[in-house]
Amino acid sequence: MASEHLIQAQGISKIYPDGTVALSGVNFAVRPGEVHGLLGENGAGKTTLTKILSGLLSPTTGEINWRGKRVRLATPREALRLGIGMVHQHFALVGPFTGLENVALGLEGGGALFPVQATAIRSQLEAIMEQSGLVAPLDVPVEELPVGVQQRVEILKMLYREVDLLILDEPTAVLTPQEAEELFGVLRNLAAQGKSVVFITHKLEEIMTATDRVTVLRQGKVVAVRETGETSVEELAQLMVGRELPGLRERAGNPPGRVILRVQDLVVPGREGQPAVKGVSFTVQEGEIFGIAGVQGNGQSELVEALVGLRPWEGEVELAGESLRGLGPAEIANLGLAHIPEDRQNTGLILDFTLAENSILGRLRAFQSRLGRLRWRKVHRFAQELIANFSIQAPSPIVPARYLSGGNQQRLVVGRELSKSPKLLIANQPTRGLDIAATHYIRDLLLELRDQGMGILLVSADLDEIFELSDRVAVMYRGEFTAIVPREELDRGKVGLLMGGVR
Amino acid sequence: MKQLTQTIFVLILGILVGAVVMAVWGHDPWGSYASLISGALGNLRAFTSTLARSLALVLTGLTFAVGVRAGLFNIGAQGQMLLGAVVALSCSLLPLPLWLRLVAALVLSGLAGMAWALPVAILKLFRGVSEVISTIMLNWVAHWLVFYLVLQKLADPVLGQRTFLVPRGMRFPVIKGELTWALAVSLAVAGFFFWFLWHHAKGYEVRAAGLNPRAATAAGISVRKAMSLALLLGGISAAWAGAIQVLGRFPYAITSDLANLGTLGFDGIAVALIGRNHPLGILAGAFFFGTLATGAAKMGLRGVPIDMIYIVQGVIVMFMAAPEALRLLRWRRPKPRREVSG
Repeated sequence: MASEHLIQAQGISKIYPDGTVALSGVNFAVRPGEVHGLLGENGAGKTTLTKILSGLLSPTTGEINWRGKRVRLATPREALRLGIGMVHQHFALVGPFTGLENVALGLEGGGALFPVQATAIRSQLEAIMEQSGLVAPLDVPVEELPVGVQQRVEILKMLYREVDLLILDEPTAVLTPQEAEELFGVLRNLAAQGKSVVFITHKLEEIMTATDRVTVLRQGKVVAVRETGETSVEELAQLMVGRELPGLRERAGNPPGRVILRVQDLVVPGREGQPAVKGVSFTVQEGEIFGIAGVQGNGQSELVEALVGLRPWEGEVELAGESLRGLGPAEIANLGLAHIPEDRQNTGLILDFTLAENSILGRLRAFQSRLGRLRWRKVHRFAQELIANFSIQAPSPIVPARYLSGGNQQRLVVGRELSKSPKLLIANQPTRGLDIAATHYIRDLLLELRDQGMGILLVSADLDEIFELSDRVAVMYRGEFTAIVPREELDRGKVGLLMGGVR
Repeated sequence: MKQLTQTIFVLILGILVGAVVMAVWGHDPWGSYASLISGALGNLRAFTSTLARSLALVLTGLTFAVGVRAGLFNIGAQGQMLLGAVVALSCSLLPLPLWLRLVAALVLSGLAGMAWALPVAILKLFRGVSEVISTIMLNWVAHWLVFYLVLQKLADPVLGQRTFLVPRGMRFPVIKGELTWALAVSLAVAGFFFWFLWHHAKGYEVRAAGLNPRAATAAGISVRKAMSLALLLGGISAAWAGAIQVLGRFPYAITSDLANLGTLGFDGIAVALIGRNHPLGILAGAFFFGTLATGAAKMGLRGVPIDMIYIVQGVIVMFMAAPEALRLLRWRRPKPRREVSG
């Protein structure tokens, strides 16, 4: 039976030992020479499916055909021998080894241990790099390389093993937009050479720019397979989420409120002694969202850390009329500042604490007796309230935060911070890594808070987010604001240029 | 739950390896183990003796554990324990009613332990000195200081091999056999630490600081204060270990070679590792240690050489402590970011 498909999986179901049904009756097929997107929300079963295709998991039921022949992929090694290679979200690289050594690792016959072979591998790799446009240094320990380059080494590893099907699990999660663009170019090249690529994402734009076809998964089932050219972002979004997402609320025409945050000539030292923020001035008013746009690493993180008291600074900062000079995080929070940190897993939460314990982080005083005894009953009641009010999906308040999904972790952080009834909310990358539904929820909530009169400082590398939410936008470049633009004058092209430092 | 099964599994593994070692050297392993158990738990006398040996270990175990909870590797219990013992003994000389001397001994030894932990906290917080280094050094200072005091200032004028005795009315009253009411001190301190860590705001801060100092700081918790608190509370607990060893156990003195204080402080580290740094686990871990120590004597009677007993002890401790020690090491390294996806 000849097949037009390189790989064809039929009726795949996967039930985990704990009873979770990750996939049920999934049909999935990839043609030779195509870039195939696998789209779905967190928990839709994308990773499980690719793990089955690459031999890491075996399906509970279902069969897999490779080039029209039925195969059993019992181990990743077997899959690799057939020509199926997967690059995981967490790379399988040995840090102190060089790129060359990592490629050679696990090859039959000792690999790079012998200079003759090393030379052979090197010249072959160089040929591959030339062909694919995927360039990585071969003689530097990979742990010294940026993540984006490490990813290239991983892909090179697979290409060297002459895979015909390359599977990438959320490859762009660790890349800058520019790096992602480059990667897409590489994937196109590979497809042009007849190789097939499957890549996982939950970002719709990436599907539209980089794939030929797309399979949409929802709750372990395939809901649609589309030629990318024949679908749209709107259709995909609806397929992925399963219902039509309402648009964000209409913004109320708030009258300009009192100035809640005043920042004057703020200078914040960076890591190597040079200032990361070089004299920034702005105000945030009640009832407005002040957005700070910019490519990451232009001083936004340092700016926020200074404002919340985690970093020393110079200049003048006033919150509701009170100077923040010399105050620590607790005192600043007491003045009415709440903070949704950019890194919820390391700064916003203590992952080994339970949901309930996390819900009072930074708010202990409200939950202790005069002698400092924690009033657990009150804590649990409060945690239940958060769960209900912010639709956190959790089996109980005593589940460790580690076991919550990213979206639910963020709901927990946001709920906790808002329960402080702050005057100013700083939201740093509030929707990064979240799926569509959670993103929508958070953005809508920020608008609601704005309409209610809260002052919000939004820092985001996501231009869509900035444009959707902000009343005024500052563009940050190399520690300075290149401009502050009111909403009416916002223009994508202009802001894009400003982000690149062009005034 | 998983931790408990893991601990039990490792315990069995340790016992099996110990058996193999004994068999290789020509001793009957199961007979030896039987005598170990009967010697430690076989009758009321043995049982009380085992309990009595466990009490100080509970306290030094708690010292290490509360440090770990705060993100510290505090190995200063040994020095604090020695100091606590000598201060408690010295309180015999106070011109007070005997029962008040007992109270004073506890208060003052606790203060001494805290004082011995203070430089560790100060060096750590203001100079960034690793608590591992400073506690090791202070342990030696305490060791030689106590050695000097025991030999030169507190020695019994007649019996040179030990200090003078704690007067009868100042000792912890006997419950049964070797077991005294020092039991109450260990249980109370263990109970306190449980309550402190899980039912008190400061304990919450200690745990937060230990699990994620970054998030704790961002939430306005002073990681420095939390660490200092853990060090100081640990100092009290360790010092009381020394105090109850002198006030609540034969020979109610300190032997000139400090043998009856031994390495109680260091053993506390293993006890805490076995007990997963949880007060309840530490009670169990200390009891396990007490069992080994008491039972070993009975094993010796069967002609199993004392070194063999140490090997068995060491093997079991290693197996018990290794997973936790590994976890601890891994823990102190930054974890890679984890994102869940579908």
